Amino acid sequence: MFTPILTIASKEIKDNFRNRWVVFIGLILTSLSLIISFSGSVVTGELAVPELPMLMASLSSIGVFILPLTAILLSYDSFIGEEESGTLLLLLSYPLSRSQILLGKFVGHITVLACTIVFSFGLTAALIHVFTGTELSLLLPLFCHLVFSSILLSMCFVLVGYVVSLQVAEKAKAIAILLFIWVAVVLVYDLILLTLMVAEAVELSSQLLQVMILLNPSDIFRALMLVAAPQQDTSSSLSSLVQFPLSNLYIALTIWVGVMMLISQSLFHRKIF
Amino acid sequence: MPINSVIQVQNLIKQYGEFTAVGNISLQVHAGETLALLGHNGAGKSSLIKMLLGIVKPTSGQITMMGKTVTHEKDRRQINLGYLPENISLYEKLTGKEVLNYFAALKRIDKSKVLQVLEEFGLEHAQDNPVKSYSKGMKQRLGFAQAILSSPDILLLDEPTVGLDPQASLFMYQKIDELKRQGCAIVVCTHELAVVEDNIDRAFIMANGMELASGCVETLRQLTDLKVLFKGEEINQAIAEDEFLNTLAVNNQLLIHQVDKPRVMQYLTQHCGVYNFSIEEPGLSDIYHHCMNNRHQNVA
Repeated sequence: MFTPILTIASKEIKDNFRNRWVVFIGLILTSLSLIISFSGSVVTGELAVPELPMLMASLSSIGVFILPLTAILLSYDSFIGEEESGTLLLLLSYPLSRSQILLGKFVGHITVLACTIVFSFGLTAALIHVFTGTELSLLLPLFCHLVFSSILLSMCFVLVGYVVSLQVAEKAKAIAILLFIWVAVVLVYDLILLTLMVAEAVELSSQLLQVMILLNPSDIFRALMLVAAPQQDTSSSLSSLVQFPLSNLYIALTIWVGVMMLISQSLFHRKIF
Repeated sequence: MPINSVIQVQNLIKQYGEFTAVGNISLQVHAGETLALLGHNGAGKSSLIKMLLGIVKPTSGQITMMGKTVTHEKDRRQINLGYLPENISLYEKLTGKEVLNYFAALKRIDKSKVLQVLEEFGLEHAQDNPVKSYSKGMKQRLGFAQAILSSPDILLLDEPTVGLDPQASLFMYQKIDELKRQGCAIVVCTHELAVVEDNIDRAFIMANGMELASGCVETLRQLTDLKVLFKGEEINQAIAEDEFLNTLAVNNQLLIHQVDKPRVMQYLTQHCGVYNFSIEEPGLSDIYHHCMNNRHQNVA
């Protein structure tokens, strides 16, 4: 059961690490993460980082834009690409189930993304510790939340990529639809929600706000980081608006992953070649 | 069912809504036999192959392979089958060796077999180069190599020689012949009729999802009754006395029906003492075009 999954996963890992843009996006994430962490030093002339809650909010803002985009770029041609090249039909002629093919691809893609995330945020945490002497007991829990929630967010969007990749007839259509989804979900929806959260003039029902957060995995991710690293002063209102405990936000993000996985599985099993 | 019938298809029908992709097809492929599946684009060949693979479920009918009924992908997983899809582009960023290792791992085949196959297919010098650097012929050889990695009992090949030069095509058919001799049942979908003619045991001609004709080339010649051309310098002189044949001869060439072939041969050799002549039989290509042109008549 697991051997074919791991075989497909290791092929995906090899294939994607040879894809230079994956390395390129990893470097962008690392660079942005380091710039945000240490850019304050330019003003003060000393090596310093913002307060941790502020830093986490900034890092999660980068993550919420870059990670879904990376996940989409990694997964958009997973099925339609292999269908176009004939290898999907070939894989189906092998002694494999469709679930094994899908899970193998998923494990491979998530491993690539997890490596990128751990490297980018891990390096940032290590450099902060080395250069500013910030205690590991403070840094580690927050960066662990950042890494785990980033991986869950990436899982969601990898699966969104699969859903689209299984539905379209051309690779170009898949990437066009996914970029539209990325703009709508990550940019527009997020922007509307953030505006509603901070706009005192708008009286938004608290319950509706919570529902809106749960309806978008990128907002669950943002809310999760706000709750994990609550800000003390000015923007305390933002984290206080999120009424879910941390565990519930993790569960919500995991449910999103589960639902997207079920949809992908169902579409793949019903796909007619 | 004959004991060596590896593939047995009975009354197979596949419909997509109102459209019939495959309509009531029955065929058999025996161990050590090569069957060519011929037909125009959209004739139903690919649908038939996909049903043999278990990827597409038939609307009705039955497929039996190696004595097991195949109605779903999981049924086919127990059968040692090799497949080469049409126009396949194997993972271009991986090396040839990595590609074969990947497919070998999926079939739980030892890696030593990969090295053996790479050498057999003349790819050992390029085994560590990425597939994107391979020529069309090398890519096709690599695809074919993955299909035979497991020494399959059944081999399904979809356009295995399309776009290949004559030497590369010859190499492919030599390999097909080797497998055939080892008892593999082979189904080849192709449009390259002239190339395939000398390398198959039987042909199955389809149009619009239906069988038009099937059998060995000789049988198909009889069925279609395409004319045979006798050529020889003495023919006109030899048949001058035969009123009927004389009307058919032009410039020492005699065009006659298949059924008359033995009689004419006998007449020329025994009655006229003419041995210096050649016979041009209709080829698979002529048979195919005849079937296509007369597709509304039941040639079979």
